Amino acid sequence: MFQKPGDKIRTLSARGWVRNVCREMSIICVLALWMVLQGWTVAVAQDIDILLKGGHLIDPKNGIDERMDVAITEDSISRVALDIAPGEAKRVIDISGLYVTPGLIDMHVHVFHGTDGDSYIADSYVSVPTDGFTFRAGVTTVVDAGSSGWKNFRLFKKQTIDRAQTRVLAFLNIVGVGMEGRYEEQNPEDMNPVMTTLMAKKLFPEIIVGIKAAHYWGDFTQVDKAVEAGNMADLPVMVDFGEHEPPLSLETLLLNKLRPGDMFTHTYSYTRGWEAVVDENFNVKPYIFKAQQRGIIFDVGHGGGSLIWHQVIPSMKQGFYPDVISTDLHTQSMNGGMKNMTNLLSKFINMDMPLKEVILRSTWNPARYINREDLGHLSVGAVADLAVFNLREGEFGFVDARGRTMKGNRKLEAELTIRAGEVAWDLNGRAFPIWDEEPLRY
Amino acid sequence: MLKKNVYARYLLAGGLLLLLPLLTHAQSYDLLIDNGHLIDPKNNIDRVMDLAVKDGQVARVASSIPASDASKVVDASGLYVSPGFIDMHTHVFHGTIPDAYLSNSFSSLPPDGFTFRAGVTTVVDVGDAGWRNFPIFKEQVIDRAKTRVLAFLNIIGGGMKGGVIEQNNEDMNPKMTALVAQNNPEIVGVKIAHYNGHEWEPYHLAVEAGEKADVPVMVDFGSATPPLSLETLLLEVLRPGDIYTHMYGGDTSPDGVRQAVIDENKKLRGGMLKAQERGIIFDVGHGGGSFFYPIAVPAFEQGLKPNTISTDLHTGSMNGGMKDMMNLVSKMLNMGMSLQEVIEASTWKPAQVIQREDLGHLSEGAVADITVFDSMEGEFGFLDSREHLRPGTQKLETELTIRAGEVVYDLNGLAAPMWNE
Repeated sequence: MFQKPGDKIRTLSARGWVRNVCREMSIICVLALWMVLQGWTVAVAQDIDILLKGGHLIDPKNGIDERMDVAITEDSISRVALDIAPGEAKRVIDISGLYVTPGLIDMHVHVFHGTDGDSYIADSYVSVPTDGFTFRAGVTTVVDAGSSGWKNFRLFKKQTIDRAQTRVLAFLNIVGVGMEGRYEEQNPEDMNPVMTTLMAKKLFPEIIVGIKAAHYWGDFTQVDKAVEAGNMADLPVMVDFGEHEPPLSLETLLLNKLRPGDMFTHTYSYTRGWEAVVDENFNVKPYIFKAQQRGIIFDVGHGGGSLIWHQVIPSMKQGFYPDVISTDLHTQSMNGGMKNMTNLLSKFINMDMPLKEVILRSTWNPARYINREDLGHLSVGAVADLAVFNLREGEFGFVDARGRTMKGNRKLEAELTIRAGEVAWDLNGRAFPIWDEEPLRY
Repeated sequence: MLKKNVYARYLLAGGLLLLLPLLTHAQSYDLLIDNGHLIDPKNNIDRVMDLAVKDGQVARVASSIPASDASKVVDASGLYVSPGFIDMHTHVFHGTIPDAYLSNSFSSLPPDGFTFRAGVTTVVDVGDAGWRNFPIFKEQVIDRAKTRVLAFLNIIGGGMKGGVIEQNNEDMNPKMTALVAQNNPEIVGVKIAHYNGHEWEPYHLAVEAGEKADVPVMVDFGSATPPLSLETLLLEVLRPGDIYTHMYGGDTSPDGVRQAVIDENKKLRGGMLKAQERGIIFDVGHGGGSFFYPIAVPAFEQGLKPNTISTDLHTGSMNGGMKDMMNLVSKMLNMGMSLQEVIEASTWKPAQVIQREDLGHLSEGAVADITVFDSMEGEFGFLDSREHLRPGTQKLETELTIRAGEVVYDLNGLAAPMWNE
């Protein structure tokens, strides 16, 4: 502050000066002590870019299920604590009354979108462009489940993975051309474990997290080839157990063919050529429990035809929970019973799975099953992929893949999704100031 | 309890016997939407009504239609029923050509994942394709989508391939544009956009094509230094029935490159209301950079409301303030339009503007494109396209969308049977 002319200049005696300095020093000392007690190792103001304040944190990996503040600096989690002072943050988002979780990982999607009219899911119309379906449902990472094989993975990467804001990982199809069509998927000569392994391990180990076998009509050849590749590449195998007339033995698949850590998807399917997990009296088959104990991962993979109330409701009641909840997102599921990840998770909430169990199966579980333990949690230093949810109460209905409804009274809604520290979805504008309370921007 | 059940069974059995003649009588409707509040602006309906669908068409609208006349009944009590929304400004020519912006490229979106969940049954793609690549657009998008896709043809023959390509005056061919428009029933207008010059010739060429094909012209007013006069565009260059989109975009400062509808003193520019009276259609076209509260709120308060509400859907708007049609319609509701006004501006009005009066209403015989939605009260927030927040108290949620009589989206299973019955 400058002195204006005529201001009285204060003069101090030496004693007075010493007294004042001592008083101020003591104030500083008290302040410093207080800051140390508060856990401020370095008292630099506004280190935090975004502070999510007042939310209920569910972080299954770290065993957290309580009210916690979460701080983000640049693209990572910088602090998680009961109470972080708003003054430390450049931007504070009040999420009182809401849940905050790691960004969801949808472990089964089809996002190899393209315009090859002769193809099915690979580079074609049945796959969807990722970002329009993820952030609005709290998802920050998707795993494409075998849309591409080693022959067209590079195109998939160029066209989708490199362009998406969502993190896109992939299971490589054991079929070289991926999901080009049902007939191409029957070709054992295009199932090359060596090439699949080279692609996964040598060229794209950061992206390819597993091997997929799907839609096969024959014997166990396809599964065997996929497991062979899985062994060579040290990666898990995900099996869509195809269409077999008569059905191949599910027990053999789960107990003899797959390895612990391999995945069985479309768990609650009920269709021709497919052995279901519950028997005709709606009892979960004993070998299913045995397989889960053995370490086989049961994945929901809802899709357009693979979550049937008659399968999943008895399963849940008898304690057979899925290990991973995933959508099997594509054009045939997006407008049907599945809709999106939050709607799917809400189904499990309304089947009385506790919220933290639901979040576990859509964050930390998929992360560790795909060997990406850097994801799916909010430990300090982890990438700041987060989702904030509102748990709505009311009268809701949930439709299965056969067009039948189950009533429910709770529904998750994605309020805010943050990807690598950036707000990627903000349903109600919680992250931003009121329009007429700040300078105009055009 | 048991006894009561027995009586109830007798009653039920008796009732069924009495109803037998009705049951054996062939059910005349495929679907009945029962007891919903119907808003059908064309037909001046704004009250609780039953609506029956048969063979993909609206078969009957009446105060009471017996449930037994229909093979499927949807209880719409407490919900609103309207014609399927027509989103008059979208970009859906998705494709995989690198660096081609909205024309067969990555910034456009395949429609079905963004329409039905937001109550939309018809979209109008505005200018992604020009006359040269319209056949690809038709093959790749129009013929494959479940959503009805109509189109404005870009005055640029190559379509909306990005800033530079859209400056090519030599690719603006009114004759070819009009010919292709006349030969394709899906083409309902001509678009000019993103033009970067200080001359009117391109706008005249677009209007010439519109005149030749007898379709309206939609203008995205591009940019120019100094800015071209918005008043001249709306009062002299465009014809009544032509469309000014991104109505709440632009810039209020005198040295901006595009004039907003208000000036630097937040006053509505002269000629705006006159243009609207003259028949110029003011279209929202929200998008990722064309709806600003600092412009929209003063303009709205001074009487400039939209004629049509549209999203300008593309990857740059889908996750921002726009989100989807239902969110945008809710935003306009919270701006002060009435429910009847927002429904008219997203159904019957756009149908008239694109000269497709077969759409946008629920007259008997009309195609059964129907939206059933809920109106929620609470504390909501709506962002504009520069992340300004405006709180609101009302929000619409799509419950059920029907396209040509078929249920294409059913949020809560209104049209589905219970799983254990």
